[in-house]
Amino acid sequence: MTTTTAPSIPVRFEPTVAVRPQTFGRTVHAEWIKFWTVRSTVWTLIATVSVMVGISVLAAWGSTSGAVDAGSGPINMALLLSAGYQLSVAVLGVLTIAGEYSTGMIRSTLAAVPRRVPVLAAKALVLSGVVAGISVVSMALSYVATMPWHATLHTTFDLTDPLTLRMTVGLPLYLVAIALFAFAIGALIRNSAAALTAVIALLLVVENVLMVIPLRAVELISPFLPSTAGRRVLFDAETLTATDAMTKGAHLAPWLGYGVLVVWALVLFALAAMMLRRRDA
Amino acid sequence: MIQTHGLTKRYGSTTAVDHMSFTVQPGRVTGFLGPNGAGKSTTMRMIVGLDRPTEGSVTVNGRRYADHQAPLQEVGVLLDAKAVHTGRSARNHLRAMAATHGIATARVDEVIEMTGLASVADKRVGAFSLGMGQRLGIASALLGDPQTLILDEPVNGLDPEGVLWVRNLTKYLASQGRTIFLSSHLMSEMALTADHLIVVGRGHVLADAPVADVIAGAHGSKIRVRSPRADDLEVLLRRDGASVIATEPGLLEVSGTSAERIGDAAASAGLPLHELTPFGSSLEDAYLQLTADEVEYHSTPIGTATTTGASPAIQGASR
Repeated sequence: MTTTTAPSIPVRFEPTVAVRPQTFGRTVHAEWIKFWTVRSTVWTLIATVSVMVGISVLAAWGSTSGAVDAGSGPINMALLLSAGYQLSVAVLGVLTIAGEYSTGMIRSTLAAVPRRVPVLAAKALVLSGVVAGISVVSMALSYVATMPWHATLHTTFDLTDPLTLRMTVGLPLYLVAIALFAFAIGALIRNSAAALTAVIALLLVVENVLMVIPLRAVELISPFLPSTAGRRVLFDAETLTATDAMTKGAHLAPWLGYGVLVVWALVLFALAAMMLRRRDA
Repeated sequence: MIQTHGLTKRYGSTTAVDHMSFTVQPGRVTGFLGPNGAGKSTTMRMIVGLDRPTEGSVTVNGRRYADHQAPLQEVGVLLDAKAVHTGRSARNHLRAMAATHGIATARVDEVIEMTGLASVADKRVGAFSLGMGQRLGIASALLGDPQTLILDEPVNGLDPEGVLWVRNLTKYLASQGRTIFLSSHLMSEMALTADHLIVVGRGHVLADAPVADVIAGAHGSKIRVRSPRADDLEVLLRRDGASVIATEPGLLEVSGTSAERIGDAAASAGLPLHELTPFGSSLEDAYLQLTADEVEYHSTPIGTATTTGASPAIQGASR
């Protein structure tokens, strides 16, 4: 049928509701609303902050009472924190995207933003901002919460000290990169449970197991795995030396290691964007 | 206006949509009718770019959906009731959707009110009944005050009051000059709601015509005639050009003529009539005829299948 055979249209539709063009800024706004209106992400944030501050206090208390040798100062606390902390941040990264696939929400999302890739970018931006934000908040709270032990531990917080600066800046950056890495895996696997399992297995099990397998091929690859490489930005000189003594293969400089993690996140993100464009939603 | 050109979707060796070409015009309700697995949902998903066509193309108001500046203003879509995050409240879902196009919160409240969700708007969607989920889906579809509305099985899970509401709403929106494209496998609902029908089966367009034409194109109307002298009457009617089937002694099924002509012919020949009942073919007949060879999942008939027992509602609509 062609338009010439169409029946006469008595009314020409005139919209009455103000609707503005779809832009990236509006997509970010929508993702910001979405982030804060799902309980699972909000609880994950609360858990993250609690765990970080909790571990700081325990570490400070432990090292002063001689139960744990955690070194001295907030610097080493940051190191201790990263292990448990990266887990909840990774969970957050996965849930941000995979939750939409598990519930079917992604179809509404992509119908509103049919160019698709901006959705991924907007989500990543919101996620990065939130993770960076809670990292800083958690560090500040940890500092305050561990004050009773500062004198005993000879704690100083001096950003002119290169090591303190690297760790203070490195922690939020490390966690943002881990969150994005997990996010990209969530976007590729598109299922919350499967993606969570994959990310946790990789970060907590596979990498740590591979580190101690005495095969040459594994020894060569292991230093370049995402968390193994990236967390070096949080290591002080003693920890770097100790880790290097334990492992063969490349010994990456702290920021170089972080760069390797960023490359992992970016490559997976690009792959996720490509697949998002190609696959049916 | 929605236009598809040779739209095709294959999943491996299965062809869900097979070179479908049709146009959905504004200003009326177009029903998209077909058995399960006919490719209705896939077609609708391709219109809004959720599924990529294997071949062919589809445009909305002259452009690919994704190429519109404000897609939600062009097309509102209800795909299925589950396209919502179960952990979010209805209001927050709509707020987020609205934010993508800078739509004011006042409009969010408006569609909540319009769809009767006010009392549950702040509850988690996961706790919604199927009907409530459907209403939320329709609320999202209406959010951008779209020129084109695509509703996939909108009355699914709705109570009778909700079904009536959808029927009136879609008719009203069409009267405003919008394009309304509505899928269903419920013929009776289509007969009451749609002005125009696109009937599909196994990915093919089987009919694309006004509802009345689709019905007329099926059997044509039939008339049941009961007479003690049926044999004489049969000869008379055949001479008149009507086609007659003697279904049992004294009972004829006549088509190709009208009840008036049969009555007049019988009277002038002095033949007594005991019954003269026109029974219009229903949309259901038309649909079953059109899709007879196209249904993917055949069921074994139980007892005697009758397709002519049209309900009063269908006859009313197809008069």
